[in-house]
Amino acid sequence: MPSPLDFADLPFLRDALLELVLLGIAGGILGAWIVLRRLAFFSHAVGSATFPGLVAADASGVSPTLAGVAVALGYAGGVERAGRAGREPSEATALLLVACLAGGVVLASDVFESGAAVDRLLFGTLLGLDGIDLALSAAAAALATIATLTLGRAWAALTFDPESAGTLGLPAGVADFLLLALVAVAAVAAIPAVGVLLVTAIYVLPAAAARLVAGSVPALIGWALALALAEGVLGLYLAYWLDVPPGPPVALLGAATYLVMSLVTRR
Amino acid sequence: MSALRVEGLSAGYGGPPVLRDVSFEAEPGETVCVLGPNGGGKTTLFRVLLGELEPQAGRVAGPSRPAYVAQTERTRLDFPVSALDVALMGTLARGRWWLPPRGADRSAAAAALERVGLADRADTRFGELSGGQRQRALLARALVQDARLLLLDEPLSGVDPASAASIAGVFEELRAEGRTLLVSSHDVESARTFDSVLCLHGRQVAFGPPAEVLDRSTLEATYGSEMIVLEEGGAKRAVTVHHHEHGDH
Repeated sequence: MPSPLDFADLPFLRDALLELVLLGIAGGILGAWIVLRRLAFFSHAVGSATFPGLVAADASGVSPTLAGVAVALGYAGGVERAGRAGREPSEATALLLVACLAGGVVLASDVFESGAAVDRLLFGTLLGLDGIDLALSAAAAALATIATLTLGRAWAALTFDPESAGTLGLPAGVADFLLLALVAVAAVAAIPAVGVLLVTAIYVLPAAAARLVAGSVPALIGWALALALAEGVLGLYLAYWLDVPPGPPVALLGAATYLVMSLVTRR
Repeated sequence: MSALRVEGLSAGYGGPPVLRDVSFEAEPGETVCVLGPNGGGKTTLFRVLLGELEPQAGRVAGPSRPAYVAQTERTRLDFPVSALDVALMGTLARGRWWLPPRGADRSAAAAALERVGLADRADTRFGELSGGQRQRALLARALVQDARLLLLDEPLSGVDPASAASIAGVFEELRAEGRTLLVSSHDVESARTFDSVLCLHGRQVAFGPPAEVLDRSTLEATYGSEMIVLEEGGAKRAVTVHHHEHGDH
């Protein structure tokens, strides 16, 4: 069993710990809105949608992170437009999700022959988190906090009763797009650490468990924040101990927490 | 000057209009009951008045931002908010939605809950309130908005008698304050308590005081086969066959 002190002594572990804490903040706060707005599928899909772009960028020396943010923001804009046009976006989301994952795998294995990079992109890594990754996660955490403090009341009113929200003078379109854009940026920020396939481990599982016990929006955010931080840090420790990427242990802890809390709160 | 004027309004959803030839006026302090069958155009009229739907023809002159009380079925019952939180949402209409609520906002929300008789349920989760109490919480939100024109979509359908009495009392107060109310309803009998009645069946069938409008031929034109007339002790009473369908136009 490795000593927790390694996290202070080893620079790569320090960076990974900082990354997971930043993602825990973003994940707890945004996760609350993701479960309230039923954006779980979107948060999963937006990460996967960037996958072929990440593979191509990685192989051609462009920062995959920045390429991913650009693709994800474009995707969020498309979903917001489809939503305003009154379409049910989940079929298009599903189609795009599968196409992008498959396209990314084909690109990675046949075009660029970057097998190791694919594993890293799909499931995350403990090693090689760079300054851009940390900066993007810090930005996601800061933006999630600022947006919740300023837009939180509008998001709550829009979610509770979308039909009446217009009469309250809320900028519904802008508020909706900002939430989708923020989720998109945050999903890309999580990819280096937990991977494309396990973005929801940070953004959905803690908040979904928090939803079982929280009676108000602030309580939901508080619970989700606490669970996301605890699962992230503990998951990172398990990853180091078991020598696996951090994504799977964080996801397993999140799923186990949800299961236990749903059994405990079941009436 | 009238509080709301609608002239030659037609509206629809891309195809042919689902509502045609609507023209009426409402004064400050006037209560208007909007009667019609499912699909008769009540919700379409409200969506135009709320500015969500552009008219295909005609024009509407009225307050730019009316308050709206939707049917409670359309709200998210699983959303973690208390009755007070719902009333507090009305203060967003004062602008400043990017700032946390102030003391004045909280007291306005509490006062509105008091008016609808929900002061003792302020901390109860919205989803745990009864149907009538939820309707009253949404009415409290509309009161906090302090709008001159209020649109209420079937606020009395399926509510308990205590809630119905409380809601009717608030309507009286709003009328006394000079606010204009448009209330859609399925209930022909309750329409008699309003200042005027607007009958819709894809078009405007009639508009005027209930004593003039609510006769057998107008009601038959409004409801068609959905209406039956009951005779109770010599008095005739029109009853509509209410299908519990939602998502009507």
